Amino acid sequence: MNDKPEILMPENCGLSRRDFLKMSAAAGGAAAFLGMLPQFSQIMAAEEGASAYPLVDPANQIYTVCLQCNTGCGIKVKLLDGIAAKIDGNPYSPMTMYPHIDYSTPIAEAGTIEGAICPKGQAGLQSVYDPYRLVSVLKRKPGTKRGENQWVTISFEQAIDEVVNGGDLFGEGPVPGLKESYVLTDAKLAKEMAAAVKAIQAEKDKDKKLALVEEFKTTFADQLDMMIDPDHPDLGPKNNQFVFAWGRLKDARKDIIARFLGAYGTNNAHGHTTVCQGSLYFTGKAMSEQYTDGSWTGGVKFYWQGDVGNSEFALFVGASPFEGNYGPPLRTPRITSASVNKGMKYAVVDPRLSKTAAKAWKWLPAKPGTEGALALALIRWVIDNERFDRLYLSAANKAAADAAAEPTWTEATWLVKLDEEGKPGKFLRASEIGLREKEERPLSTNPEKTYEFDYFVALVNGEPVPVDPYATDAAMAVRGDLFVDNVKLGDFTVKSGLQIIADSAREHTLEKWAEICGLDVRDIEAVAFEFTNHGKKAVADIHRGVSQHTNGFYNVYAWYTLNALIGNYDHAGGLIKASTYRFDGSKKGQPYDIKQANGTMAPFGTSIIRHNEKYEKHTLFLRDGYPAKRNWYPLSSDIYQEIVPSIGDAYPYPVKALMLYMGSPVYSLPAGNTNIPILADPQKLPLFIAIDAFIGETSMYADYIFPDTMYLERWEFHGSHPSVPFKIQPVRNPAIAPLVPEVTVFGQNTPMSLEAVLMGIAEKMGLPGFGPGGFGEYGDYIHPDDLYIKLVANLAFGEKEDGSDSVPDADDEEMRIFLEARRHLPKSVFDAERWQAIAGDLWPKVVYVLNRGGRFQNFEKGYKERVFPEPSSSYFGIDATQAANPFGTMINIYQEKTYDTKSAMTGEHLVGYAKYFPGPFAVTGELLTDEADGFDLRLITYREMMQTKSRTSSNYWLLALLPENFVLMNVDDANARGLNDGDMVKIVSPSNPDGQWDLMNGNYKPMIGKIKTTQGMRPGVIAFSLGFGHWSYGGVDFTINDTKIAGDTRRVRGIHANAAMRVDPYLKNTTLVDPVGGSAVFYDTFVKLEKV
Amino acid sequence: MTERVDRRNFLRGLGSAIGAALAADNFDRLAAVPEQALAAYEAALAQADEANAEDLDTIERMRRELVRALQKPPSERRWVMVIDLRKCIGCHACTIACVAENKLPPGVVYRPVLDEEFGTYPNVTRRFTPRPCMQCDNPPCTPVCPVTATYKNEEGVVVVDYDQCIGCRACLTACPYGARTSDFGLTYTEEMPVAEGLIAGRTTTETYERAANFEYSQPHPRVERTSPIGNARKCHFCLHRVKVGELPACVTTCIGRATMFGDANDPDSLVAEMVNKPNVMRLKEELGTEPRVYYLV
Repeated sequence: MNDKPEILMPENCGLSRRDFLKMSAAAGGAAAFLGMLPQFSQIMAAEEGASAYPLVDPANQIYTVCLQCNTGCGIKVKLLDGIAAKIDGNPYSPMTMYPHIDYSTPIAEAGTIEGAICPKGQAGLQSVYDPYRLVSVLKRKPGTKRGENQWVTISFEQAIDEVVNGGDLFGEGPVPGLKESYVLTDAKLAKEMAAAVKAIQAEKDKDKKLALVEEFKTTFADQLDMMIDPDHPDLGPKNNQFVFAWGRLKDARKDIIARFLGAYGTNNAHGHTTVCQGSLYFTGKAMSEQYTDGSWTGGVKFYWQGDVGNSEFALFVGASPFEGNYGPPLRTPRITSASVNKGMKYAVVDPRLSKTAAKAWKWLPAKPGTEGALALALIRWVIDNERFDRLYLSAANKAAADAAAEPTWTEATWLVKLDEEGKPGKFLRASEIGLREKEERPLSTNPEKTYEFDYFVALVNGEPVPVDPYATDAAMAVRGDLFVDNVKLGDFTVKSGLQIIADSAREHTLEKWAEICGLDVRDIEAVAFEFTNHGKKAVADIHRGVSQHTNGFYNVYAWYTLNALIGNYDHAGGLIKASTYRFDGSKKGQPYDIKQANGTMAPFGTSIIRHNEKYEKHTLFLRDGYPAKRNWYPLSSDIYQEIVPSIGDAYPYPVKALMLYMGSPVYSLPAGNTNIPILADPQKLPLFIAIDAFIGETSMYADYIFPDTMYLERWEFHGSHPSVPFKIQPVRNPAIAPLVPEVTVFGQNTPMSLEAVLMGIAEKMGLPGFGPGGFGEYGDYIHPDDLYIKLVANLAFGEKEDGSDSVPDADDEEMRIFLEARRHLPKSVFDAERWQAIAGDLWPKVVYVLNRGGRFQNFEKGYKERVFPEPSSSYFGIDATQAANPFGTMINIYQEKTYDTKSAMTGEHLVGYAKYFPGPFAVTGELLTDEADGFDLRLITYREMMQTKSRTSSNYWLLALLPENFVLMNVDDANARGLNDGDMVKIVSPSNPDGQWDLMNGNYKPMIGKIKTTQGMRPGVIAFSLGFGHWSYGGVDFTINDTKIAGDTRRVRGIHANAAMRVDPYLKNTTLVDPVGGSAVFYDTFVKLEKV
Repeated sequence: MTERVDRRNFLRGLGSAIGAALAADNFDRLAAVPEQALAAYEAALAQADEANAEDLDTIERMRRELVRALQKPPSERRWVMVIDLRKCIGCHACTIACVAENKLPPGVVYRPVLDEEFGTYPNVTRRFTPRPCMQCDNPPCTPVCPVTATYKNEEGVVVVDYDQCIGCRACLTACPYGARTSDFGLTYTEEMPVAEGLIAGRTTTETYERAANFEYSQPHPRVERTSPIGNARKCHFCLHRVKVGELPACVTTCIGRATMFGDANDPDSLVAEMVNKPNVMRLKEELGTEPRVYYLV
């Protein structure tokens, strides 16, 4: 019976055998539960005639934000005597209603209005009320090794003392405390050193560079012991040997972490972006770089998604908006309403028949890793058939875009210089062909100073014309020639940006592209026709199925280039971006400038993951040359899979302490098993501190685990996602009393939490920016609320200096409901007097925002109407509903900056345009041969709607829907291997021939799962869903204070086959990577199945 | 089987004593609408006719229609549910929302969703079918009840009188849709460690599961040997919510907007519009059960 869902399927509605057995057992012990009457019902019993359904009373509801996944849907928590009894959607939030209710709706009227949230959101109570939550600081029991899961509880104060001061903490010899790496504490000195390092890096000549290093050693002779390596001062000070890494982190908490690390002076603050959809973000960054003050800069780590509610055609690629991808409650009603009510068509590219694909017009089960090839096939068809938006693409600058009523423009017409081999390089500048002299222009950052502006060049009717990208004067508008092929101008041979893209797309015939993708060419043509048959109301919407490949960056680039061909950016039904209200006080008039008040050091030096820095400028390049020991990432950041392995390799330097917040790289990373031997080894990582609500798959290796508050107990500003056209800022705020105990920091009581840990360390070490006067002119930072209420006040004030977009004041009724709804919260969490004192005059506005769980732009403000001056071609009409919060600037479909970046492996220039790179390949670029070597199945992952990657295996309601995952494979593949539904198989791979997780504590977790056959899977591909197959997280036995606590085996069922994922053959301790965009690679491993 | 029924009777004997102390006897009394909820109620009433239905989320449109229907005498309302299978994405939010709303224990489910695959690669599709109680106008489950604990109420919803139910399971067998399950008093947290002071532990965390549900407009904390433990349980269209102007939990949380609810006697309602579509069908129509749950296909 165990292979069936426990309760929630119709065929199993009766009593299963297991349930029957449990019932029999329960009958004997049932009396034990008598007397456990929740307090509320006692009141109900006492008060006849009390409300029959108290949950609709607004005074029993708190509006906050879900965190069961990262979508951040607004929720309302319904309270019954202080217990969260039910969670539903917050109707003020666009995530849960379509359209969402007007922001001005009185809170008193919203009691019975609730929006839609997903099953995980509905089950959130079980994440918070999880018996395995930690309530004391756990210290690895002295005398035991990391990962042995034997712990002792110690007081918060003692724990802070130990992590700060170090000492012989485990009977293994001295452990460096955080104090030890806090050596550079003088902000002025740090600034001087950083300037000297900048000069060293800027110097291109080897000998002069070395001379500058010697000069550094002379200048700072007395401070050299502060440096990690005086011979390589560009590594920075020893402060960098403290690394802070996080998994799920949102704003507000991010602000306290930034403040803390700024005060400490480390450059090592790294998130987890690359394990999610890294190359989506970093291709987005490369596409959004702007030419400012003479260089390409200011690229934003972001991406676009489709405004699918207004699309007439959508193509979901490696994306399943019904199951994930930010986020189902927002996007599903838009898609189902558009498709059923308005005849919208959509197609899905995915090897697996996802729930989205199940409802699609067309399902295209392309070969994984060929997403870029499919995009180029479509680009080829669109260009060959001239189905692109000529007017949009011909606009070479802002003035031309304005004339076309387009918010964005591209370099489609800009001329690019070719090298001797005909390879595209940098853009042609007007001065290079004597077309126009350079101009002195004031710097945007400092108008007193100037830089030389050199015009770009496009051809207009065959004649070169200078292009100023941001010119607004209509006379400066340039509508260039789209296709310029090997034209000689002066000493140069040039092509236009669009020509380069066309050439890339014409690398293969449509038939050949179809063959590469494993698709029928007629399907590709049909999709291409639809894509270009709806004006701007068509979109290719992509997600991690596109980005998490070794060729991820260029796959993403190709799809965004395809979208540019129809110019759908910032158009209703096209691609849109996220917009959030600023709350950090950086807008004029906002009351509290959080960043200004910081007043701490600017950290400098190379990060442990070597991001945002060019290898060839570094002094390590002089030492090591090509290939670098590990890859460098000048175009990306937050490269999660690099953190622990780089610590393991001590490259570029050894690390003394790692603090990990709400992250589990071991579980979540592909080949996360490679992290275990490093984390388990105090020689490689002397001090490992985790801030985690549980003993998780990674925190089980920590020396200390500090418990944290959960999402219904804490503050965060959740931000938005690219699928949301409205400007929003959801505010997560405490809804229930925390299950963790209170501690005292700076004399104030506060829940044991991330905030308490950072403030406690700051207090112990005397870090600036915390404690009395921590906010300078804005007062003390002695309680977490001192930051959070200030942020809400800024948000409530708005973004206009005169306060004209402030929210209204809460009236008496709103204030009454606000206070009454929080009557169950302890003073350490909610104290109306404390909050009001921090908020000052803005208090009634703060209440107004919190009553609604954040700030949300009204539905009608999300779009605006514009009229096209002329239809640009027969395919593009004059209906121009556009995003009211637009991207609104240049989109790089040719990237000079990317071209100008070199691989740290080969020293070669990167390619600056959309191109298909066959994979999978190693970080060095070498193609892998695993498929040819007999590993006959390609492994991919997906996510069931009822699990989040690593943190919902505690949700028993969800487990009842699906107690375990399975190995999903095509029926024919199964038959060919003699496998049947329910057979158990082990997954083995080239880098994990044993098919198991070695937990380095004497235990092994084999990667054995149950076969589920389906017609809905591309042959040759197998899949497992993420979120199952745990081996910690309350699922195994552990010991605290010599008391054995039994794990719950329901939490560890199923298979987690990340350890089968391919280890990079050059790096040897890290998953395959996208060397440009930084993605951790989930979909490029070939495996074999062994029947067990 | 005999043993089980005996146990049920035994439990009921104890439970009713506690139950009497907890709540009024007349479970079918009209809910007292909380004062604060009245504000929402009145606001919705004022808005019920003013806005263009096209400009509203269907959830909000249906809520306003619900408030309108509540102005009529109960016998003049015809609650129906319409499920558009083209919009159902099989997310199970409804299943879990129902579990959370009604505090359903292991073994009890009101609203499962079927997930079926059809076809041969690459021409494959999946169908997701939510299956609540059909609230039949000719229900096979009610006549078999030996103590008339289950019946169609004034508004046409098939209800269970927990105080009368003896837990014999006859209705479970009689229902052709498998819409009824028995509550054996389990909880999801019952085997968890307590480990006080070391981890949060069961005692601290089981509160949400033991907190009262409000089925039939009465608080039912989850206390051993007290209803609904030992009873047959089933979907009741969340009457306790409906009575205070709130849609059933499965309706408000339907992210595909596949599930619709309302008064089919109101010709302007969304459900009235839908039940007359040519693509409407009902499950096992041939049995003559006359379900009040309609599917659009």
